[in-house]
Amino acid sequence: MTSFFYYQDIKQALKQAAALTWINFKSFPYRLIASSISMLSIACVAAVMLGVLALTDGMVKTMARTGLDNTLLVMRSGAVSELQSVMFPVEVNLLADHPQILRDKNNRSIISAEMFVNAEYKSDLLTINNNIVSSNTVNDNTINTNTIKPKKVIQTNDIQKTQSLALRGISQNTYLFRPNFKLVAGQRFKTGLRELLIGQAVARRMPELKVGTVITLGGSNWTISGIFSDNNSVFESELWADIGIVQSDYRRGNTVQSVRLALQENTVIEQLNQEWLNDPRLNVRVIAEKTFFADQAKNLTRLIRWIGLPVALIMALGAIIAALNTMYGAIASRSKEIATFKAVGFTPFATSILSESLLLASVGGLLGIIPLYFVFDGWTAATQNADSLSQMMFNFNISPLLISQAMLLSVSIGLIGGILPAIKAMRLPVTLALRDD
Amino acid sequence: MGPSGMGKSTLLHLIGGLDHPTHGEVHVGGERIDHLSEAKLTRWRAQNVGFIFQSHHLLPVLSAQANVELPLALTPLNKKQRQQHAATALGLVNMSERAHHLPKELSGGQEQRIAIARAIVSDPKILLCDEPTGNLDRKTADEILALLAKLNKDFGKTIIMVTHDQKAAEYASRVIDLEQYINSTDCIGNEPPQKSLEIN
Repeated sequence: MTSFFYYQDIKQALKQAAALTWINFKSFPYRLIASSISMLSIACVAAVMLGVLALTDGMVKTMARTGLDNTLLVMRSGAVSELQSVMFPVEVNLLADHPQILRDKNNRSIISAEMFVNAEYKSDLLTINNNIVSSNTVNDNTINTNTIKPKKVIQTNDIQKTQSLALRGISQNTYLFRPNFKLVAGQRFKTGLRELLIGQAVARRMPELKVGTVITLGGSNWTISGIFSDNNSVFESELWADIGIVQSDYRRGNTVQSVRLALQENTVIEQLNQEWLNDPRLNVRVIAEKTFFADQAKNLTRLIRWIGLPVALIMALGAIIAALNTMYGAIASRSKEIATFKAVGFTPFATSILSESLLLASVGGLLGIIPLYFVFDGWTAATQNADSLSQMMFNFNISPLLISQAMLLSVSIGLIGGILPAIKAMRLPVTLALRDD
Repeated sequence: MGPSGMGKSTLLHLIGGLDHPTHGEVHVGGERIDHLSEAKLTRWRAQNVGFIFQSHHLLPVLSAQANVELPLALTPLNKKQRQQHAATALGLVNMSERAHHLPKELSGGQEQRIAIARAIVSDPKILLCDEPTGNLDRKTADEILALLAKLNKDFGKTIIMVTHDQKAAEYASRVIDLEQYINSTDCIGNEPPQKSLEIN
C-alpha cells in the first residue's frame, strides 16, 4: 500500500510539474527580450566551445592519419621538428646500411631522405567585380577557368598576401612511405624540373592553385604538376618537389633534414636508438613516425585548449549570469502568479523553473550549434603549425560527439542558472507575494 | 473587519494554512492544521479551501476556462471531467459565455467572478475572501457579494471574508471586529491572546 501511495504522489507531482511547465512556456512571449538575451549568450558559448572542440578534433584526426608505425623518423639530436634538423650524407649512409632496415629486391635500403623548408608564397589575389583573379597564372599551359582579366589595372604588390607553405623535397623512394598517396589531378613532378605536387588540402584552401599554375617560391617559378591526396593526413598540407632542386634553391648543399627508414618487423626501436646513440659517428634522434606526429598533435591541441577553453569558460560564466538574471527576473515578475499557484496547492516550482531554464539553454545551444554546423562542417581551415612553423590544413569535422559535448555545456549552464532561481521560487513566501501593493 | 494592520489578512492566511502561527494552534473544522507538514497542508488546502483575493490573480496567459480548471490539475479528474467541472463553476458565476476569453479581455467584475469560479471549482468547504470587492465599483461589488451570499445559502459554503466595506459586512451572518476582539482579551504587546478566537 505504501508503494501505491508513493507511486500516486510521484504521478501527482509529475502531473503538476507538467501543468506548471506548460503554463510557463505559454507565458514565455511576455519575457521574450530577457529570454532572448540569455539564449543568445548561451548560443555564443556553445558556438565557441564547439569551434574549439572541432578545431582540436580536426587537428588531432589529421595528425593521427599521418605517419606509419613501422617507419622510423631520424633527425638531428635535439631537433623537435624536421625544420630544426640537419643531417649529412655520411649519416644517411650509415643509417641505410644498418641490417634492420628493409631492402628492396635489388638489395637497396628502403629509405627516404627528405628536405623540409618553409617556402614563402605571395598570393597576388585581386578581387575585382566579385571575380577572383590570380596574377600568378602566367603561362599558356595554365588550366585555370576562373581567370578573368581585370578591367582596371591594379598594382598587385599592394595587396599581396604572404603565406608560409610547407615545401618538402622528396625522392622517388618517398612514395613507398606514403601508402595512401593518390594523384587527384595532373601527374607527379619530374625529377630535375621545378615542378610541384600539391596536397589537396592546399588546393582546397587556395583555389587559385591548379594544375599548370606557375607560382613563385623562394624567388623561383614553379609549375604545379599535380594534386595529391593522402588520407587527409598532414602531408596534404604540403608541397612536394624534387629534393635536388629544393636543396639547390634553398642553398642546403647535399644535406637533408630527416630520413625515414622502413624497419624489419622484429625491430625494437629502443634498441636501435641505443645502438645509434652509442655510435660516435652519429648524432641523431630516433622516433617512430606515428609517434612523432602524435606528439605534434598533443602540442598543438594543448595550445588551442589553453587559449580556447578559458575563453569558452569565461563566456560560460557570463551566460550563467545571464541565465540567472533572466530566471530571477521571471520569478520577480511572476511572484504573484507563483504565489497563486502555491495557494491553490501546486508545489513543484523547482521543476517548472528548471524546465524553463533548461529549455532556454537547449534552444540557445542549438542556436549556436546549428549555424556552425552548416557553415563550418567539412570546411578546410589552416593554422600555423607551432612545430614546423608552416601552414597546416585540416578539416572541421563537427561530429555528433562534439555536438553533444557543446549541448551538454549549454544544458549545464541552464541547470546552474536555474537552480538558485528555482530555490527562490520554492521559498517565495505566499502571504507576502499575494499582498496587494 | 478592522483597521489596516490589525492582522485580518494574516488571520485568513492562518485559517487557509498559508501561514504558520508563531504561538498557539489553528483548528479548522475540528482538524488541527498548524502542525501539518507542508505537503499535507498543501493537500488539505487543495481539498478544503478556496481563496478569493482582492486582486483576482488570474494567469494572464490562460483563458477563463483554463484558469478555472487550474486547481483541478491537482485532482485525479481527467481532462473531460475537468472541463465539465470548470463549465459548471463558470455557469454558477454567470460567466459561461466568457469561458474562452483571456483575463485582459474581461472587466474587473468579470475577472473577480472567474476568480470565484476558480475558488469553488474543486468544491471546497471553505471560501476565504480577502477584500474581494476592494477593487470594484459599488454596483459590481454588490453583484459579487450577492454571488457569495448565494454560494453560502444555496451551496452551503462557509465564507470567511476580510473587508473594510460595511456594506459587505451586512451580508455576513457573523461579524468579528478584530480590533475590538484584541482589546477585549488580555493580549499585551506581542503576547498571544489568552482567549481563543472561534469562527463558527
